[in-house]
Amino acid sequence: MKNLIVLFQKEWRENTRNFKILWIPLVFIFFGLSEPLTSYYLPQILEAVGNLPEDAVFSLPEFTAAQVIMATMGQYQFFGMLVLVLGFAGTISRERKNGTGTLIYVRPISYLSYFLSKWKVIGTIALVSVWLGLLTTWYYTELLFGKVDTADFFAFAGTYSVWILFVVTIVVAMSAWLPTGAAATVSLLLVLLVQIVDSLLGAYWTISPWKLAIYATQWLTGSPDATNFWWSIVVTLIAIVGLVVFGVWMSKRNASKTKI
Amino acid sequence: MTAILETTNLTKIYGSEQAVNKVSFSLIEGTSTALIGPNGSGKTTTLSMLAGLLQPTDGMISFNGEKHADIRKHIGFLPQYPQFFSWMTALEFTEMAARLSGMDSRHTKIEAQKTLEFVGLGEALRKKTGAFSGGMKQRLGLAQAIVHKPKILLLDEPVSALDPVGRREIMNLLKSLQQNMTILYSTHILNDAEEMTNQLLFLRKGELVEQGSLSDVKTKYDSPRYRVEFASAQDALTFAARSPWKVSYEEIFAFIDLDNELPEMNAVLGYLANSGLGIRKVERQTSSLEEIFMKVARQE
Repeated sequence: MKNLIVLFQKEWRENTRNFKILWIPLVFIFFGLSEPLTSYYLPQILEAVGNLPEDAVFSLPEFTAAQVIMATMGQYQFFGMLVLVLGFAGTISRERKNGTGTLIYVRPISYLSYFLSKWKVIGTIALVSVWLGLLTTWYYTELLFGKVDTADFFAFAGTYSVWILFVVTIVVAMSAWLPTGAAATVSLLLVLLVQIVDSLLGAYWTISPWKLAIYATQWLTGSPDATNFWWSIVVTLIAIVGLVVFGVWMSKRNASKTKI
Repeated sequence: MTAILETTNLTKIYGSEQAVNKVSFSLIEGTSTALIGPNGSGKTTTLSMLAGLLQPTDGMISFNGEKHADIRKHIGFLPQYPQFFSWMTALEFTEMAARLSGMDSRHTKIEAQKTLEFVGLGEALRKKTGAFSGGMKQRLGLAQAIVHKPKILLLDEPVSALDPVGRREIMNLLKSLQQNMTILYSTHILNDAEEMTNQLLFLRKGELVEQGSLSDVKTKYDSPRYRVEFASAQDALTFAARSPWKVSYEEIFAFIDLDNELPEMNAVLGYLANSGLGIRKVERQTSSLEEIFMKVARQE
């Protein structure tokens, strides 16, 4: 784990100076805030800007607190994933392309430290952003829709955090393997497309990292099937370790592709 | 005279293209070696393998006799166009470089500062590298390569992107480093190679075609040529017309190319002494490295 601290400091400084530690949490907080607010004030919003005929009658469903939090997660599952993938798909590949990686690769670094420094910083930013967003949505949901059990919320957010860590690992590993554009495309396919496939055909299997988000929401309305849930967690953690190993190997193999 | 670095049959193949082919040489501690050759001859590939950026397809690199050593611990590397993180200051980058090379973090700041001052960036320590000119980047590139006091300095075309003043300054800096480091640098500016070289390595199409000290190589490729300065252009013309050797002339000068230096030279001097022409000076001209470069590059 040689040089991990130095590389971690470099990554942290970089993400501070390009303001990613600011704007990425703000995006997640924005969705966390907007979901309960728009759900609550939807009738008034429609009345004010809907341009509806005077005698139109709308019967809007009554949202439960759990549904509002799930809806926030639904936003994260698309917009949040886009932000994480597009924000970080170039983390390793860009350093190869523009040649800034060269002066790092010629030093006696370990590629495990190199990969982990990026994974840790991006993972921290992603998890802090998601938690800030979810805490915001929790606060406003309780204010406007009613109580959400604290233990249920933490079980939900904890499970969702494992999914987020899985997504971050995919993005960093793809960046180690492919050029930025391809890394972003493959990451989006793995995160978004596989999720759709899993929801369409997933009735045939119950253990999958792509099911974690669904299992997370089940904590809010009851609890997921324990066997399926824990096995999915285990499989996801194994997949994360596998992706880290793959990413470290690719970082080393592709170091020779850096612009000299 | 101990070899600090040795390559044996170093080879790099890309698909069907042989970029470097069985290159063997050694670097003697405390010397400077110039790697010269036309574009595409494999200079950068060779340096990249030594710097640990490229894995050789075949062959071996040994450091101080240790085979297959990870010599990244012992080198400083300056690529032709060094790229830096634009959001970092010169001091931050140099400090990071020192720490990544294994320097104790307690000393890095002061060493980084000293090194930046040494390369002439004392005024720009806290400037972001994104605002640096080409010359400043080259100086910073040198600073990051030497800050951890490596045993071997590998430089890829260290001065080719610089204006004459910058080039001179960097060359002077490199000369001052010669005492403490073993330097291997590629260049196509042959004046520089003449100025700072103990050993010449000449690559052509990936192969090491010439190797030796500057004087050895010069002697090998030198063809005897004498310049005679006459009292008048008429004398030069007369000499050119009458002499039995290959002679060209220009104003008051005649140039004699000899095939076989010693016996022929005696004959030339005897001929000149008895010619009755006004002679001011006779001098031997040595081939410049550039002329030798052209000769070696054209050989097939």
